[in-house]
Amino acid sequence: MEQPTTAFFVRGPQPFTRLVFFSILSLVLMGVDARLHYLTEVRQGFMGLLHPLQVAANMPGYWYRQTVEYWQGHDAMLADNRRLRIVNLQQGVDLQRLRSMEEENMHLRQLLGAVQEIKQPAQLAEIMNVDRDPFTQRVVVNLGSRHGITTGQAVADGMGVIGQVTRTYPFSSEVTLVTDKSLAIPIQVERSGLRAIAFGHGRDNIIDLPYLPTNVDIQEGDVLVTSGIDGVYPPGLAVARVTSVERDSDLTFARIVCEPAAGIEQHRQVLLLKTPLVAEATPIPDTPAVTTPSGKAPAQTAKPKPSAPASATAAPAPSTPAVLPAPPANGGT
Amino acid sequence: MYTTKSRFIYLSLLLALFMSMLPWSGSGLMLRPDFVMVTLIFWLCRAPHLCNIGTAWIAGLLIDLATGGLFGANAFAYSLTAFFAVIYQRRLTLFNIPQLALFVGALLAVTQITQLVLRLFAGGSIPDWHYFLPSLTGTLLWIVLAVLSASGTAPTGAASNKRRS
Repeated sequence: MEQPTTAFFVRGPQPFTRLVFFSILSLVLMGVDARLHYLTEVRQGFMGLLHPLQVAANMPGYWYRQTVEYWQGHDAMLADNRRLRIVNLQQGVDLQRLRSMEEENMHLRQLLGAVQEIKQPAQLAEIMNVDRDPFTQRVVVNLGSRHGITTGQAVADGMGVIGQVTRTYPFSSEVTLVTDKSLAIPIQVERSGLRAIAFGHGRDNIIDLPYLPTNVDIQEGDVLVTSGIDGVYPPGLAVARVTSVERDSDLTFARIVCEPAAGIEQHRQVLLLKTPLVAEATPIPDTPAVTTPSGKAPAQTAKPKPSAPASATAAPAPSTPAVLPAPPANGGT
Repeated sequence: MYTTKSRFIYLSLLLALFMSMLPWSGSGLMLRPDFVMVTLIFWLCRAPHLCNIGTAWIAGLLIDLATGGLFGANAFAYSLTAFFAVIYQRRLTLFNIPQLALFVGALLAVTQITQLVLRLFAGGSIPDWHYFLPSLTGTLLWIVLAVLSASGTAPTGAASNKRRS
């Protein structure tokens, strides 16, 4: 085009010119996206365009499961049914106990004048897509802002916490898993009541418990539950189980490795819990200060390195059992 | 003729995007080749006048959207790879399929290394060696594509280019 020699091969601008142009374009885009966050609406708009493709991509798996279910033997179904009935029976017994305990708990709270525990409604969503790069632990689920999903909602399954909604699109939303590096969860050790903050490791399906001293009271097999002081996760949900504790006296902190309690890579269905801050925005002026900063999105801004050891070691609180929402002290005013 | 061909290219890219959006999990996810990049490389070598760095950039941007990653990161990696594919494109007719496979593997590795570098800038950690397995599976996929298309038409891109012009 420009030069007579290259006009013989109709190729437009030189490859290098194109490379420079598109590189600059993508670098600018990256900068704008990472620093300025202008592109959220653009992204949501385009996501609407891609949505049909995403739905279509889910269809083969869906059909496969349907046919497998259809052709699954009668016996397998019956066995499954029997097993589920037994589980149901056991859980029914537990549930009865739970009801009476809930009532008792409510009564005790009334006596204490403490804040009522907020029941969190939940929506069942299905995992549509798993993020393909091995660094980020993210999944896309099939409910979005049109279904009332907002960023910051906690996501759980039958066995424990899975993660948090970090981005919503009209018809789908993105869930960052607890194993992601950027997600931090305030937890409590069920056995000792110790409070700490758990961080995702980023890969290998591991959760870290950093910034705890080497003499910390944590053993292998300890169950970590959500402490509920963040106002995002309801208290008492299982987060992880401690698999190894390394106490090297040369190091300042113990190396504690946990594995997530929820079946993060096994399930297709997850529950999106309504955040209490979103569900009932007004009646929580009297909850302690912990809820205010973390209500936004701990996933994005969570780098509480200086404050983490302090808040983690500050309250070994053996007096409060793990299931109680942690700070009932100044609630009653 | 050009329009049908370019439509074919876009359809195949859409199909590749569809393949990468299938709900992969477990070892399938670890082995999942970069369908879009493999398709792009195939067309970059086959029809460079229809599929160029700009096409790669747009495809990368779509991937960024679909995966919810940093806007422009994959677009950058794809256009860089497309650049290398395009500058060596005219020499490729000299090579046979095993040699071309090596070249394709190198290109896929370039994509992954670029993605890795961008990740490391964003504060990621260095992954295990099996981070690069998709390059290998992608090369295998390309070999399948090349053999299939060669059995249908002329052995290399040279003949088809001649036929078109």
